[in-house]
Amino acid sequence: MLSTYALDTQVLKKDLCTSCGACQGMCPYWGSWNGRTVWLFDCDRKDGRCQAFCPRMPYDREALRGRFFDAADVDPDIGPCKGLYLVRSADPADRDGAQHGGTVTALLKLALAEGLIDAAVLNHMNGDDPEGFLATSAEDIMACRGSSFRIAPTLAKLNEALKADEYKKIAVVGTACKTLATYKMLAKPYPDRDNNADNIGLVIGLFCGWGLDWDGLKELAAKYVPLDEIAHMDIPPSKYHSLVIRAKDGREVSVDLDEVTPLVRLACKACDDMTAEFADISVGSGRSADGWDVDKGWNELIVRSEKGAKLLQLAREKGVLEFKDMPEGGLDKLKRAAAGKRSKAVRE
Amino acid sequence: MDWTLTTNAPGKIVLMQGNEAIVRGAVESGIHFAASYPGSPSSQILGMLGKIAKERNFYAQWATNEIAAFQACLGTSFAGARSICIVKQNGLLCIADALFCAAQHGIKGGVVVVTSDDPSAHSSTNEFDSRHMALSASIPMLEPTNMQEAKDMVPYAFEISERTKQVVIIRLTTRVCHGRGSVALGQIPETQRKLDVVDEWDRMVCVSFRHQVMLDTLEAARELFEESPYNHYSGPEHPEKLIVAGGTGCLYTKEALHLLGDPADVGLLELGTVWPLPEKLLLDKLRTAKEVLAVEEVDPFLEDELLRLAGREGLDLKIWGRNEGTINRVGELDPDHVLPAVSAFTGLPMPPRQKTSDVPLLTRDLNFCAGCPHRATFFVLKQAMRREKVPGIVVGDIGCYYMAGSEAGQYGWQVNNCMGSGINVAEGLGQLSAYGMDQPVVTMCGDSTFFHTVLPGLCNASYHNSNMLLIVLDNSATAMTGFQPHPGTGLTAMGDEVKPMSIRAICEAMNCTVEEADPFEIEETTALLNDMLHRPGLKVLIMKQPCATLMAKSRKEKVTVWVDQDKCLGDNCGCDRFCSRVWGCPGNSWDFKAGKAVIDPVSCVGCGVCAKLCPQGAIQVKKEARA
Repeated sequence: MLSTYALDTQVLKKDLCTSCGACQGMCPYWGSWNGRTVWLFDCDRKDGRCQAFCPRMPYDREALRGRFFDAADVDPDIGPCKGLYLVRSADPADRDGAQHGGTVTALLKLALAEGLIDAAVLNHMNGDDPEGFLATSAEDIMACRGSSFRIAPTLAKLNEALKADEYKKIAVVGTACKTLATYKMLAKPYPDRDNNADNIGLVIGLFCGWGLDWDGLKELAAKYVPLDEIAHMDIPPSKYHSLVIRAKDGREVSVDLDEVTPLVRLACKACDDMTAEFADISVGSGRSADGWDVDKGWNELIVRSEKGAKLLQLAREKGVLEFKDMPEGGLDKLKRAAAGKRSKAVRE
Repeated sequence: MDWTLTTNAPGKIVLMQGNEAIVRGAVESGIHFAASYPGSPSSQILGMLGKIAKERNFYAQWATNEIAAFQACLGTSFAGARSICIVKQNGLLCIADALFCAAQHGIKGGVVVVTSDDPSAHSSTNEFDSRHMALSASIPMLEPTNMQEAKDMVPYAFEISERTKQVVIIRLTTRVCHGRGSVALGQIPETQRKLDVVDEWDRMVCVSFRHQVMLDTLEAARELFEESPYNHYSGPEHPEKLIVAGGTGCLYTKEALHLLGDPADVGLLELGTVWPLPEKLLLDKLRTAKEVLAVEEVDPFLEDELLRLAGREGLDLKIWGRNEGTINRVGELDPDHVLPAVSAFTGLPMPPRQKTSDVPLLTRDLNFCAGCPHRATFFVLKQAMRREKVPGIVVGDIGCYYMAGSEAGQYGWQVNNCMGSGINVAEGLGQLSAYGMDQPVVTMCGDSTFFHTVLPGLCNASYHNSNMLLIVLDNSATAMTGFQPHPGTGLTAMGDEVKPMSIRAICEAMNCTVEEADPFEIEETTALLNDMLHRPGLKVLIMKQPCATLMAKSRKEKVTVWVDQDKCLGDNCGCDRFCSRVWGCPGNSWDFKAGKAVIDPVSCVGCGVCAKLCPQGAIQVKKEARA
């Protein structure tokens, strides 16, 4: 089957596309519009990289994992794990405007300053909507803090940057779908057309429960807080059963999750990877067994690879991150959450 | 203009195209008035008439549509003028109401309608046999076999028209229109006949009690046709095998009979008077015949009439033809089809054939010209439609953009009825948005089609606020048929400059939301299109970019486009030969030696759009002042 047809029939038409952008930026056949991947024209290749990189196309998870991670580290619920930490940026400026503790911002700035990376593919806001952005300075990185609660085709930007071959150590930050696609790129399924995959320098995964349909979020915004006035959104622990929207003027609106769930992309409901298992480091919100407020403003961080461990060690040495003791039961709680998403996904 | 059209040199033999022969025939008839809307294969006729109109002191008009053309002819007829209206098969259907009414009210000055059928639909969407129109409207019809007859039948048609006070139709087919043959010129009258003064009590009115008059007129025409010099018989006095042929069928039959050794026992009746049929002439041969073969273009019209005659007269005849199956039922006649049919009919063996080559001819898909703005428009439209969350519905129309339904236009539309239909089909779909249909609806028309038949539909759609988008492909030309002027161009058939009409102003006067865009600005125009799809009510987007052929002729600067093959990655790009394969302009080609893209400098007109699409930026554009 032609690759464009394969993706259209097996991913797009089945609503399994998260619009990560892995298929885009390499050719004129795929584009993105309003948060949706768009198949523009018919390509007559059967071996398209679009198909090979798509995180929603079938792949052998164990084989791919085996190529990049230490088998001894693999946890059945949260994937390869060399250590779980509770951290936040030591710089309040990073934390201000961050989704949680500003850890990713701090790590990226450190990696850039130390020459471990020379650019990072992130999301920034273009008007009301998130879009992929190639950050090459600490200022650029700072401009990309926070979550948009939507999946943007960030990897299109990565593919373009790899093709341009200007930056040789590009960091990728993204949710599970994006980091999986990035490892599919690193695996070089077509070695003679690898789109300079070796220029990928670091992969930071973000914990993700789901992304909202772009139109769905706009529906919510129209009802509660205008899109351009939303400062922050978060999902408190499940017992609250709500989405909390904080406006720029400080007021908070709590939206019943039942209202939000229908706006979640089917592609995200079918995802079984909460903690972004394919990454050097994965980062999410701190979730203490003692309650929602205890670790608010902190990040849980999983070190998955040697490279990740070295970066965290460097961060510790340079005092870039603050560390807090992982509370009793923290790992179990995370494992339960991850396993919960996995079992729901199987049911979907 | 060719001297053969206007020089008074009776008896001189010249080489003429069928369309030219009609022009010459009209001039020899001393016409006062000619009107037409372009339609292949007879588009050239009025173009030529327009150019000689001033010299020959008659009026010629590219009308806004066929109805305007034909009814204007009727008007001039009322004052005793001789008028000729030229249409193609679809145009004849377009004037059906007017034609049927005219048949009943009759005419004063001669009115001749020249219609061109397009067997195999070479430049049409469908095959149609206009003889059915003559039959059902009770209007006499002639069909020439060759260029001489094409010319001679025009004055003859005027004569029949004025003797019977009835419109007369001349049926042409593509090969007669476009073929060339020798024609002996006739006399051109020094001046046209003087016009009548219309009297207070003169009438030309379609009323029901004239039905009988119309039928009587048809019988009068039949009597005239029994003696017509355009029906020829050759062969034995009492043939057992008789071939009845009309139009090009006569020539193919003659060729076939010759190749089969000119059998002396087969009769050939060539009919130039198609309707009403000269029954006495036919029956004279049919009574002795045992088998008859009808050779005719498009439908088994003669064949069915022969069956009817045989049934009525109780004749024991076997009738061969297109219905019976000896000749291809669909598609144009040609020697390859007629020769085996005549061979089977006569029982004579097929002559041996020489095969010239085993290599099949290359097939080529229809495509837009290099630099055609329609290619860009449909590229933009496809992008915009693919972006939509729910797929849109695209309704096509008739013009060059008909090709957009194929690869040339990214399979751009899904529905296509007839000329001017898009707006109405889309209007209906657009009304469904209040009844649960949640899909954007788009249709299109060219600028000439806009004036031709879209206007009433646009009135309707706007008045009823249909939720749809009309794209007007304004290329400032009636490009499909050869750049005839229309009300948007500011020119007339006779070369006069007049005040052009603004499509935008017309749409705004009809309360439409109007935007203009340049289809060559791919990104901006796609975004505008997506935005417009979500605006409520009736929207009109005018795509402004002149026809590439016009653009190339009028441009002041010299534009060179080339591929920097150091930048082009060839098959390693991932673009999968986007320029030549998807964009598909004839100017974008593939250099098989280098394995890279290349521009064909002969085809390229320098629109430069492909340079914007190349993901590597390998296509370069250089503009310089013309020396």
